[in-house]
Amino acid sequence: MAVAGELTEQFAHGVLPKTTSEEYSRQEFVKSLKFHLASTISLGIKAAYRVRAEPAFKRAKGREPKGYREVQQAMAGEPYYQFWSAMQRNSQEMMWKSAQIPVERQLPSLISASKDAAGTRGSLTLDPTVEAPRYHRLVDIHCMPGGYHTEFADEDVANGAVYDRAVYVYVMGRMGPLNSDIGDSTANFVNARFPNVKPRRILDMGCGVGHSTLPYVEMFPDAEMYGIDVGAPVLRYAHARAESLGKAVHYSQQNAEKTNFPDSYFDLIVSHILVHETSHVAIRNIMRECHRLLSPGGIVAHTETPPYRQLDQFDAFMLDWDTRNNNEPFWAASHEIVPAEIAAETGFAASSAFEGLQPSAYEFAEAQRTKVFQGGDFGGGGAWYVWGAQK
Amino acid sequence: MSLQKGAKGERPRYFADPGIDKVLSMTMALTGEVAVMRDRLDSLERLLEADQPVSREALDGYVPDDATRAERDHWRARFLEIVLRAVHQEREALERRLNERSYSSVIEAVESKDA
Repeated sequence: MAVAGELTEQFAHGVLPKTTSEEYSRQEFVKSLKFHLASTISLGIKAAYRVRAEPAFKRAKGREPKGYREVQQAMAGEPYYQFWSAMQRNSQEMMWKSAQIPVERQLPSLISASKDAAGTRGSLTLDPTVEAPRYHRLVDIHCMPGGYHTEFADEDVANGAVYDRAVYVYVMGRMGPLNSDIGDSTANFVNARFPNVKPRRILDMGCGVGHSTLPYVEMFPDAEMYGIDVGAPVLRYAHARAESLGKAVHYSQQNAEKTNFPDSYFDLIVSHILVHETSHVAIRNIMRECHRLLSPGGIVAHTETPPYRQLDQFDAFMLDWDTRNNNEPFWAASHEIVPAEIAAETGFAASSAFEGLQPSAYEFAEAQRTKVFQGGDFGGGGAWYVWGAQK
Repeated sequence: MSLQKGAKGERPRYFADPGIDKVLSMTMALTGEVAVMRDRLDSLERLLEADQPVSREALDGYVPDDATRAERDHWRARFLEIVLRAVHQEREALERRLNERSYSSVIEAVESKDA
């Protein structure tokens, strides 16, 4: 019987919301539910495909489904898949709810804690003229009510606090006690692929609450670290979080499509699960802006889950669930990006584009510890996909 | 205060009757609240076993240690198997059919003149 193993707890930095025993139990239930859905219930989906949906498609079209979209067509009427899909959607909504309840109870004290934690190791620069872009306002991305930008109080940090806790529950603790796995893994990738890189300044685009930003402070202690996001509540939380952890990051409220940093200001630009939350036009603007911002030889690296072309068509179909079920409208298109093409479109040499799979730093450490390798629920079987270009 | 209650964006419809979407959401929420209630009862039993003072405050503030968390993870896994039995039953039937088909296709394969 598969059990959600949580070998660590989420690290209680200065602004992590506290939970009553019941609030914690509710979050633990969501974690167990998600694990149960992923490790047992979802196994029936492939059986349903092979036993019902694929044969029905063959009978209707005289051939097997070709490509993930045809697998999707075949599965549209498949009741086992639809039922799992409904439960998965519910698990998302329950996850956000379970993270909101404690924040609602303690928001005033979270706001004062975030003001107390604010410090001068790093900095926080907000700009109320920065509008949340259209692709953030059309739907609340990944079903988080209010998204990254909505404020519910003066000097609000609510959705930062909600996000920080919900991510930990979503990945069932498998990004580590500080939710740092994506940043840790990307930093490892950059070091391995570009061993001579010694960045003076690093920018994390779409930094959110900074869980992927802080690993670079560790990995490149001589560099100045910057993080930008369009959402004020997540940035206030990010600043307080970093200061309480003793890490210096300069956070500012900016849109990665057009920032106010000078030309050639950064040697390394990174992003972590940002790309799928933008748009066709925006990611190209972002890459053009990266080209402007990078020093000669500078590197931009974006981390995501693997592109569909690298996956078996059924696995791509499963990974595509978020596009239509989890308020991630750009998920599919982002998984079809070809790095050399987008690099060439945005001022980089196509030959400077790169891509690769990076083993999850956390999974690797756990495998060392427990001698057991477990694939994560979030795609890639324990590996992140990093793509980018070099100026 | 209350944060925003739902995510902006049209919710997918998983069932022909929207009433069923609602019933599923209610059932899953209820399942969660049963687990919450059971954890509280478990906390009460542990306090009693350890001869510790029992009060609402003690229960509201109970922090499970690693061993307790592991035991509760196990309990929830069994609990979900029971609650979602109907779904598992269908999965088991599909897996059986998959294996049966595989065997008959083995017969076809070995009898085939195109081997």
